[in-house]
Amino acid sequence: MSRGKTLVAMTLVVFVALIAVNQFGHGGNGDPGGTKTSAYSTPAKSSVNDTLGASTTPKNVPVSQTGINQLANETGHLRVSINFTWLLITGFLVLFMQVGFAFLVTGLTRAKNAGHMMMMNIAAFAVALLVYYVVGFAFQFGGVSPIANLGGASPLSGIFGHGTAGVIGLHGFFLQSGNTYDVGVLAFFLFQVVFMETAAYIIIGAIAERVSFAGFLVAEVALAAVIYPVYGMWMWGGGWLSQLGNSIGWGHGAVDFAGSGVVHATGGWIALALAMILGPRIGKYRKDGSVRAFPGHNLGYAVIGTLVLLFGWMGFNPGSTFGSSDLRISIVAVNTLLSACAGAVAAMAWTNAKWGKPDISMTCNGMLAGLVAITAPCAFVAPWAAVFIGVVAGFLVCYSVRFFDSKAKIDDPCGAISVHGTCGMWGLLAVGLFADGTYPASGWNGVAGPVKGLFYGDVGQLGAQMIDIVVGFLWAWGMAWIIFSLAKRFVKVRVSPEVELEGTDAGEFGQVCYPDFVQVTETDARLQDDDLSLPYLTAQERSTASAVHAGQPVGAAPHDTG
Amino acid sequence: MRAIVAIIKPHKLDDVAEALRDAGVSGLTITEVRGHGRQRGHTEVYRGAEYSVEFIPKLRLDIIVDDGDAEKIADTIVAAGQTGKIGDGKIWIGPLDNVVRIRTNERGSDAI
Repeated sequence: MSRGKTLVAMTLVVFVALIAVNQFGHGGNGDPGGTKTSAYSTPAKSSVNDTLGASTTPKNVPVSQTGINQLANETGHLRVSINFTWLLITGFLVLFMQVGFAFLVTGLTRAKNAGHMMMMNIAAFAVALLVYYVVGFAFQFGGVSPIANLGGASPLSGIFGHGTAGVIGLHGFFLQSGNTYDVGVLAFFLFQVVFMETAAYIIIGAIAERVSFAGFLVAEVALAAVIYPVYGMWMWGGGWLSQLGNSIGWGHGAVDFAGSGVVHATGGWIALALAMILGPRIGKYRKDGSVRAFPGHNLGYAVIGTLVLLFGWMGFNPGSTFGSSDLRISIVAVNTLLSACAGAVAAMAWTNAKWGKPDISMTCNGMLAGLVAITAPCAFVAPWAAVFIGVVAGFLVCYSVRFFDSKAKIDDPCGAISVHGTCGMWGLLAVGLFADGTYPASGWNGVAGPVKGLFYGDVGQLGAQMIDIVVGFLWAWGMAWIIFSLAKRFVKVRVSPEVELEGTDAGEFGQVCYPDFVQVTETDARLQDDDLSLPYLTAQERSTASAVHAGQPVGAAPHDTG
Repeated sequence: MRAIVAIIKPHKLDDVAEALRDAGVSGLTITEVRGHGRQRGHTEVYRGAEYSVEFIPKLRLDIIVDDGDAEKIADTIVAAGQTGKIGDGKIWIGPLDNVVRIRTNERGSDAI
């Protein structure tokens, strides 16, 4: 058998095995819902060593209502503070994902742009955070219903849109309006702002090595103020997509546990729109249409970045319970790891079968694909399904990267569109297929009963997920396209060809990441056979680019980026 | 005096340097360089797209010897640096007008 056929055969065997594994262990003493584990239970009679008598119920102690109230009060406070701690610590883990993204995208691009990549990462964090603080958070969560794990009552009660048709939140501008200067609101803000930041870094991977710093900042502001928060509100802020269960009776409405759609697909589709408007990097496609690779300058960075992201994801998914009083967190964490590893193995196997050797950067993409895909279903599916979802994501990302690279001719240096867009979409779909009805006990998005997918008897859930996929794509891609097309008239969104060839480090910032080394980028010396007639260059830019690689002096100063 | 320049495979450095010391060469300067010969590089696959590596990493050795030693040193480098496969490198030998030891300002053969 050929290598490709062996791969297909082995994959099918894995799928069949996974489905078989699911047949074991149902109806046993497991507690996947996490409700029984915390319940008080009388210790068994084996307390021979119980010299302190801790397990024997005290008798004849007078019970006062005051005492009971005090006990209840303290227990309640303890529960809320444990949940606060969980929410903040997992939020810090998600914050650390910034490091992972910075390493990943910088490693997968060329040395002459490394400083530019790092600068975009730090600027994205600072700018987007402030924008989200001013308006984004209010748009997204200004009308979210009270969160029981964080104490219940919440001043975030301003919503525009009636009943099941909420479209935008109205409380919480500057974390002040509507009395939102509140411990619960700010804990929630910390956790949510780092999620928004994740979408904000995703786009860097697809626009790398040619976007101008000014154009990038415009994209970040649009993302943090409008594109991310509004769709996020529809899904997580009590908006109409999450209410599809109550309004038209489709499952529990669109369900996205930790953001395959809200965070990743949104980031991926925005990246797609920006990459299409910017056009490919100079030299990416030859005249005959073939693809030229620009190898990343540090695959070690890419692997470190991927592993840091894996670690950060342990906050991303388990933290999305908003509290450790929900014991489902262990299942969420393990599902996340299973899918990540399945994705990495699948990508490793696919590249080995297809290209003769396993590809390092695609293995990184495969692991991230598994993580992105399990993000929406992680709380609702069994471990076997998590592996299944990861394997599919690992293959999907490989095909998607090849599709965007060679067929669609959309230049995506780090695979951001495929990892986050394509696999985010798969994650949303997977909820509608594999949610197995063990979580939550009841009441997700205000609908009675647990969340169930197609294979567990709820067709409506799959329908709601598909509506969500389509709406999410149209909103994120469409809004990004409109805003960036308009911005293009006022801001130079792409660096000049001289800056692009020289390196965006020097051209945009006058500083280079590696000043102690001579950098030879061979691909730049081979541009004479390049397709410089691509539509993103004006006639003048084309002639300038030709002059630059022919070694002739050009009129404009190389540091002039507009 | 003769200047010998040798381009070798990087992983052969230890073998060549040891052989040269055994042959009596006292000074050796190396530089990391990139280049190609008749085969003009090779192609690699990155994320499914082919790219050509035109200039392959090599090491350049600069050695100064007395006139009579040049052929012997060239033989030494060939013996120690040869793998028999494409890309083993090249040696070229040229005349040298003068050599100066900076510390003592010695000239000519004394400075080697």
